[in-house]
Amino acid sequence: MKRIILSVMTVAVFFGLIACGDRGGQEEPAAIAEEENLPVEFILYNGAEPETIDPALISGVPEHRIYLSLFEGLMSYDPETADPIPGVAESWKISSDGLTYTFKLREDAVWSDGTPVTAQQFVDSWLRFLNPETAAEYAYMMNMVIEGAAEYNSGEAGPEAVQIRALDERTFQFDLTGPAPYVLGMLAHYAFSVVPTHVIDEYGDDWTEPENFVGNGPFVLKEWSPQEKLTVVPNETYWNRKAVQLDQVTYLPIEDNNTAYNMYKNGELDWSTEVPNDAIDEAKLRDDHQSNAVMIVYYYVFNTERPPLDDARVRRALSLAVDREEIVEKIRRKGDVAAYGIVPPMKGYQPPETFSDNAEKARQLLAQAGYPDGEGFPVFEVLYNTSETHKKIAEYVQQRWKETLNIDVELVNQEWSTYLNNRQEGKFDIARAGWAGDYKDPNSFLDLFISTSALNGGNYTSAEYDELIEKASTMPGGEKRYQVLAQAKKLLMEDMPIAPFYFYSQSNMIDLDKWGGWYTNVLDIHPTKDIYMK
Amino acid sequence: MKKYVIRRALGLIPTLFIIITVSFFIIRLAPGGPFAREKAVPDEILRNLERKYHMDDPLVVQYGRYLFDVLRFDLGPSFRYKDHDVNSLIAGSLPNSLILGLVSLGAALTLGIAAGIVSALKQNRLVDYTFMSVATVGISIPLFVVGPVLMLVFAMRLGWLPTSGWITGRYGMQTLIMPAVTLTLPYFAYIARLSRASFLDVLRSDYVRTARAKGLPGGIVIFRHVIRGGLLPVVSYIGPAFAQIVTGSVVVEQIFRVPGLGKFFVQSAINRDYTLVMGTVIVYSVILILMNFFVDLLYGYLDPRVSYD
Amino acid sequence: MTKKNGEISDRSLSGAEAEMGVSRLEAGLTNEFDQPVKGVSLWRDAWRRLRKNRMALTGLVIVGFYALISVAAPILPIHSYKYQVLDHQYLPPSLTKTGGELYLEKKQHELEVLAQKEGRSELNAGERAQLVQIREEVEANPEHQRRYLLGTDALGRDMLARIIYGGQVSIAIGLIGTIMSVLIGILVGSAAGYLGGKVDSLLMRVVDIMYGLPYMLIVIILMALFGKNILNLFLALAFVSWLTVARVIRGQIMSLRNAEFIEAARSMGAGTNRIILRHLIPNTLGVIIIFLALRIPSFIMMEAFLSYLGLGVSAPYASWGSLVREGVEGMSLFPWRLIFPALAMTVFLFSMNFLGDGMRDAFDPQSKNRL
Repeated sequence: MKRIILSVMTVAVFFGLIACGDRGGQEEPAAIAEEENLPVEFILYNGAEPETIDPALISGVPEHRIYLSLFEGLMSYDPETADPIPGVAESWKISSDGLTYTFKLREDAVWSDGTPVTAQQFVDSWLRFLNPETAAEYAYMMNMVIEGAAEYNSGEAGPEAVQIRALDERTFQFDLTGPAPYVLGMLAHYAFSVVPTHVIDEYGDDWTEPENFVGNGPFVLKEWSPQEKLTVVPNETYWNRKAVQLDQVTYLPIEDNNTAYNMYKNGELDWSTEVPNDAIDEAKLRDDHQSNAVMIVYYYVFNTERPPLDDARVRRALSLAVDREEIVEKIRRKGDVAAYGIVPPMKGYQPPETFSDNAEKARQLLAQAGYPDGEGFPVFEVLYNTSETHKKIAEYVQQRWKETLNIDVELVNQEWSTYLNNRQEGKFDIARAGWAGDYKDPNSFLDLFISTSALNGGNYTSAEYDELIEKASTMPGGEKRYQVLAQAKKLLMEDMPIAPFYFYSQSNMIDLDKWGGWYTNVLDIHPTKDIYMK
Repeated sequence: MKKYVIRRALGLIPTLFIIITVSFFIIRLAPGGPFAREKAVPDEILRNLERKYHMDDPLVVQYGRYLFDVLRFDLGPSFRYKDHDVNSLIAGSLPNSLILGLVSLGAALTLGIAAGIVSALKQNRLVDYTFMSVATVGISIPLFVVGPVLMLVFAMRLGWLPTSGWITGRYGMQTLIMPAVTLTLPYFAYIARLSRASFLDVLRSDYVRTARAKGLPGGIVIFRHVIRGGLLPVVSYIGPAFAQIVTGSVVVEQIFRVPGLGKFFVQSAINRDYTLVMGTVIVYSVILILMNFFVDLLYGYLDPRVSYD
Repeated sequence: MTKKNGEISDRSLSGAEAEMGVSRLEAGLTNEFDQPVKGVSLWRDAWRRLRKNRMALTGLVIVGFYALISVAAPILPIHSYKYQVLDHQYLPPSLTKTGGELYLEKKQHELEVLAQKEGRSELNAGERAQLVQIREEVEANPEHQRRYLLGTDALGRDMLARIIYGGQVSIAIGLIGTIMSVLIGILVGSAAGYLGGKVDSLLMRVVDIMYGLPYMLIVIILMALFGKNILNLFLALAFVSWLTVARVIRGQIMSLRNAEFIEAARSMGAGTNRIILRHLIPNTLGVIIIFLALRIPSFIMMEAFLSYLGLGVSAPYASWGSLVREGVEGMSLFPWRLIFPALAMTVFLFSMNFLGDGMRDAFDPQSKNRL
């Protein structure tokens, strides 16, 4: 009897050992990179699994980081300031009315297969991007500024309507719909990229496979195993090859940011692009914690079509009742900036102070709207998508509104798709939202709330506001234009279709004593080509 | 018996067909669509997208087209991961889930049945309580706690293991340890408890008493009668357990960065990546149906009382 | 064979005896040795045996205690589960100190670490003034007199209250969901297993199909279609989780169906319903009760997993699962946020399991008279 039990146990232990595998061959984390003569590999936490690397189809931050390694548009980003610097373009001329841009391309700009990058390829790439059959999500950015783009993209006109042209092999020209002063900044964005049309013609949709891939960026695709990693190695034909110092960059898709944080602490990652909420107190005390303000705003949208939220006084009351400093300092604790407007501060544009938190005034406004001390105020819902941060803020706001205004709200959290659907179709009372600027201009934020915007989930409509934004879009850059935009912003904060809470501060973990060429900036853009090991 | 096997095997085809049909339509009922983004896609671009993926056709036409593709073993393009089609995503991730799943299930079965037998033989003794306590811990602590705790102890505090990764990566086979242990625990717990209960039944049953009374040695009684009879509930649990474990666990995969199928399972549903949802449903149900089929056959082999009329 | 046959008809007789126990007792029946036969009902018999099992009894007492606490939560002298004191974020558990004292200590520690980071060994004047100010505030504001036995969470809410109210939700989900799913499972499983043939293949086809659909998808769709509240959560969970029970019961019944005691019952003229209810189900009760005990934790766990996906209970309500989930992230910094809810949950599930085991031994007709 005992023998049998023993033998069964032995089998069990044996199986246990198999399950444990062998411990041999363990390497010290990051040891590879530290040896002098070994190639320098840079490993980073890249958020979710990239959806695609085709520049015409990408739409997210993880994809953008990879894009910066594999491609280069007319302009690229300065690693320190995220301002546009020349990429494939060597020089450019802007017509006196600010509507026509003419770019001279670099002689030495070539694809990784050796063929030169031509002006005609820019034309073909942009037309491919706008082609309704490509169904590019970011086409709206080009539609906004390039003359004729919107018409072609919506199928109202043919490709010939798009005002872009190759004057010769190395000269590329386009016309704008208005003198958008931020267009140079936009050109570094993947929405204005150039793709190897000769390779796409050959391989069709398979051109992004590692064996077919051709790019013009500082790196080329080496390996991509979905959910595991994506690796890139230097592009030997890149015009500025000598500036590229890393020998390999590995992008790890990680779903759990605690795992990423642990990996970083264990030396398995060189750059972690996020810090989990509960670790922030610990991270803040570390020297390798890099934190800076970025152009992302967190706000609540009011459904302006549902009473009592259709009353601007009610919306203002709800917004003013929140203590933003408390949210920033006690709930977020990440060094975010309290937001009293939708546009974050940016170079050359200091947003005017339009309101301040004031519980007393909030109570008065609510009384004026017919609900003294919250009496008779209907119970409504706050909608947010599942996330610890959103939950915490919603819980705080719920208690705050109860305390200051004596009104009750219910919190509703939904998984991502249901939440998006309800928010975008206006099926909510109040919904949490966030917006990241695509380019450094107030317009990137203010543009959201014009009545025709598909992104205006609360259905805010104001003819006056639309007019101001329209007016600004026809003005050349400068102080005057900013004044018009500031006016629009003031109007927005009076009508208060949204309650902004704070501007994000981005936390990165990277040891700057070890790595150079990495700087904090407002777009949180860090091109890999500039990163080097010290 | 032969008739039964053929009848069951043929019965699988309509089952699969119904599963495909039901899930095809049920996903479309869920609010939201595959192209929803935080930055809502403007209408004209949404129309372009829908045209590209033939989503502007009537649902029945889409269904017909999909069915036709499935018959040719083409599961279509992924709506979300645009550089891959569903076939290649599944082909890339299923083997990883299989490796992890088989190791975990193997360990869970061996340890679980062993613990079940020992506990049943030593009912209400210390060893019984110990095993059952471990098993209870196994089912009362969520995986999303076990995983991070293991990582904290073995990777962060002791530094014995890398935090995460997969066997093809830099740290090799040792990355399998923590996910496998985490995944084994709940299955071990189920199997141990289930087999203890059923072994207790069998030990008390008449045929075992008869065998004992006939003077058969304890060892033979246990091997020939008790194990065979006692495994029945465990066997019927293996079907669903196998299908669940080899199609991956989203929690374990996320925490330990295992490039398996489990993440697609949950994420495709959340992203409304219709074709990928369908792909994972088909893989899951094919494995499950086959397993249940084998389990039923195994039942007949293990339990002479079961008749297939 | 003869022997076996005899035994089994014996047993079915003893089953019949149990049913008729009361009337026989009234009639003052005696056995062949002229001793009075005391009939025992299934339940009384079970209770008698359960009482002898110390582990099970302990389990019962603990489960009872949990139930009592959950029901009495509104009248217990605890803080509100949703009231936030933002100064009291992440306070460690303490029996002796008030929230204000802990808050002050925490602030002081923070400033010291900061000073150390900057290379100073002592606090500077500004920081000292800041501490004095906090001390004054702590002394002045009665809110700082609150005590937190189990610490506080990220919004300064009392963990004890949250664990108790979370238990309320979790236990309710576990019980209601399990009972509903086990009932459906028994119904379908025993019908399929006993009737066999067409009914069996039809029912098993339905089960196969439901198995083939990922339960999460069904839950998402059910919740989206019928709105998100706790009742729908119960229904959705029960709807997707009766399948395993049905399969296991069917397997058991199939193997019992041809047993001699069933044949005996049938030959004595028992109808289908009677055979299923009186003979087959009680004989599978062991497995069913094990399933009950196993299902409650898995329901509680399933709810936790759903909270993780945004389909669980809505904030500011909590469940054990959601509390544990919140605690995991910062477990190295704020271990109490993980340990206490996890402990509360594990102790409950432990007790549930031992109680389940005890009930199994107590109810099992096969172990009858063989204690």
